[in-house]
Amino acid sequence: MAVLLRDITLGQFFPGNSLLHKTDPRYKIIIAMVYIVSLFLAKGVLSYALVLVFTFAMIIFSGIPLRIVVRGFKALMFIIAFTAILNIFWTKGENLIFEYKFIKIYAEGVTYAVFMILRLLCLLTGSSVLISYTTSPIALTYGIEKLLAPLNLIKVPVHEFSMMMTIALRFIPTLIEETDKIMSAQKARGADFTSGGIIKRAKALIPILIPLFVSAFRRADELAVAMECRCYNGGKGRSKMTKLKTKPLDIIMLLVFSAFTAGIILLNGITLF
Amino acid sequence: MAKIELCGVSYVYSSKTPFEKKAVNNIDVAIEEGSITGIIGHTGSGKSTLVQILNGLLEPTSGKVLFNGADMHAKKTKLSDIRFKVGLVFQYPEYQLFEETVESDIAYGPKNMGLDKAEIEKRVHDAAKFCGIEEAILKKSPFELSGGQQRRVAIAGVMAMTPEVLILDEPAAGLDPQGRSDIFGGICEYRRKTGATVIIVSHSMEDIARYCENVLVMSKGEVFDYGSCDKIFERSDELEAIGLDIPQIARLLRRVGEMGVSFDKNIYTVGEAYRSIIPFIKGGGGSAS
Ligand SMILES: Nc1ncnc2c1ncn2[C@@H]1O[C@H](COP(=O)(O)OP(=O)(O)O)[C@@H](O)[C@H]1O
Ligand SMILES: [Mg+2]
Repeated sequence: MAVLLRDITLGQFFPGNSLLHKTDPRYKIIIAMVYIVSLFLAKGVLSYALVLVFTFAMIIFSGIPLRIVVRGFKALMFIIAFTAILNIFWTKGENLIFEYKFIKIYAEGVTYAVFMILRLLCLLTGSSVLISYTTSPIALTYGIEKLLAPLNLIKVPVHEFSMMMTIALRFIPTLIEETDKIMSAQKARGADFTSGGIIKRAKALIPILIPLFVSAFRRADELAVAMECRCYNGGKGRSKMTKLKTKPLDIIMLLVFSAFTAGIILLNGITLF
Repeated sequence: MAKIELCGVSYVYSSKTPFEKKAVNNIDVAIEEGSITGIIGHTGSGKSTLVQILNGLLEPTSGKVLFNGADMHAKKTKLSDIRFKVGLVFQYPEYQLFEETVESDIAYGPKNMGLDKAEIEKRVHDAAKFCGIEEAILKKSPFELSGGQQRRVAIAGVMAMTPEVLILDEPAAGLDPQGRSDIFGGICEYRRKTGATVIIVSHSMEDIARYCENVLVMSKGEVFDYGSCDKIFERSDELEAIGLDIPQIARLLRRVGEMGVSFDKNIYTVGEAYRSIIPFIKGGGGSAS
């Protein structure tokens, strides 16, 4: 399990110095949305080719090792396989390429499945490269808070939500580390998390979960007291140490991504065959 | 004979990621059977990593760990057996208590060993005795005890497995003087009764000088020096350079020595100092020892 926890690269920040790292988090959230919408607009071989090239370029520019990006796919393996199978067997078309009893596979189904897999992989890669890998969690929540600020007008406690998110994000690594420590300690007392049936394995988790909950509550308590001691009383009148300012780079990024969308729409119009 | 031997052991955390961190580097150390060894070093010098390598929780990135002369990570050795034989008490072990009663928490280790009920009960009571846990406390919930008591329960939980090697990572961190000496007293008692090899990680030179025969000094993931207390404390200037200190009483006696009154150089505990200062005072000055 310790290994498993480490393998979830989704939502893991990789410090770096690339242009993507330097882009304003507000803009990054917007361009991520632009990117995702473009993905769903793409139809046909040409536009998918553009998507692939663009996504690949994005990975190169971000400086994130390809190996790390690919490792992120593992978590989605099941969903990808599931969608692929569903599409292959249930899509009806005109060109039958395989038939066995009640199983019928059409060429359209295969094409559709391939596109679907590409779309899912790009979705995962794009959003993690644009957001999780290149944006620190704190910058990300700040960006979200700023983008959602208009909701304050209709009395949505945006700041409180973002504070909750910041705290949750802040404590995820701490909790993972703590889980690791508790697991090691129980292993030192002979705990075995990897053998036996499902009931035995579930039971083996008790010695981890109880200390983990106890310490999570203790931490929450201490944090609340510490925040009160520093006079935290919600969002009203709070200012930030570093203010977000739009830079030329942010505008350029936005333009590049808009061009990408335009490119896809254009290529959709051209038919190859 | 060497009980545990490290041959060129290195360990790297988060290998092959941007967070890669070399925690210990090329360590060669042999821990003698029956000895009591102190490990000391600055925070982050790799002490906790080292002790986890010693009981097989971490497999070294390179190098070999020999337990009783056999490779710990060889295919045929069962790591779980090693962990029962090399008991490790983590730093702040009180955060790992989880059972409903103190008794069943101490019994968790022995139960995992597959012992029968009578034997488990006997071991729980023995371990409780080593750690000074009264019978009345055994039936209580571990969560209603004081921090010091919880610590003792957690240590008893490892002693109940009667390991041949007992390793404790900063067992006395954050305790009051009484709590400290209770814990160390319990460890010495355990060692006396079972003849176990003991390794104690500590920040306090005083504690190490008082309870250990050998000292392993770590600095930046490497072994700075390893040997008897006398040999190590002689290098006090170099120790200071890596941010460590010799026991205060030894420093005091050295200062006094510089002023012209020389005592035995190898005095590191208050008790020894007392025994050599008092005759000096009674003798009305002059040269001691
Ligand atoms: N789980 C871990 N992941 C990554 N780095 C770690 C981990 N545990 C310890 N380290 C790093 O390894 C080094 C040695 O740590 P540690 O063995 O805990 O030292 P000590 O116990 O002497 O304070 C430190 O620099 C620490 O930051
Ligand atoms: Mg440590």
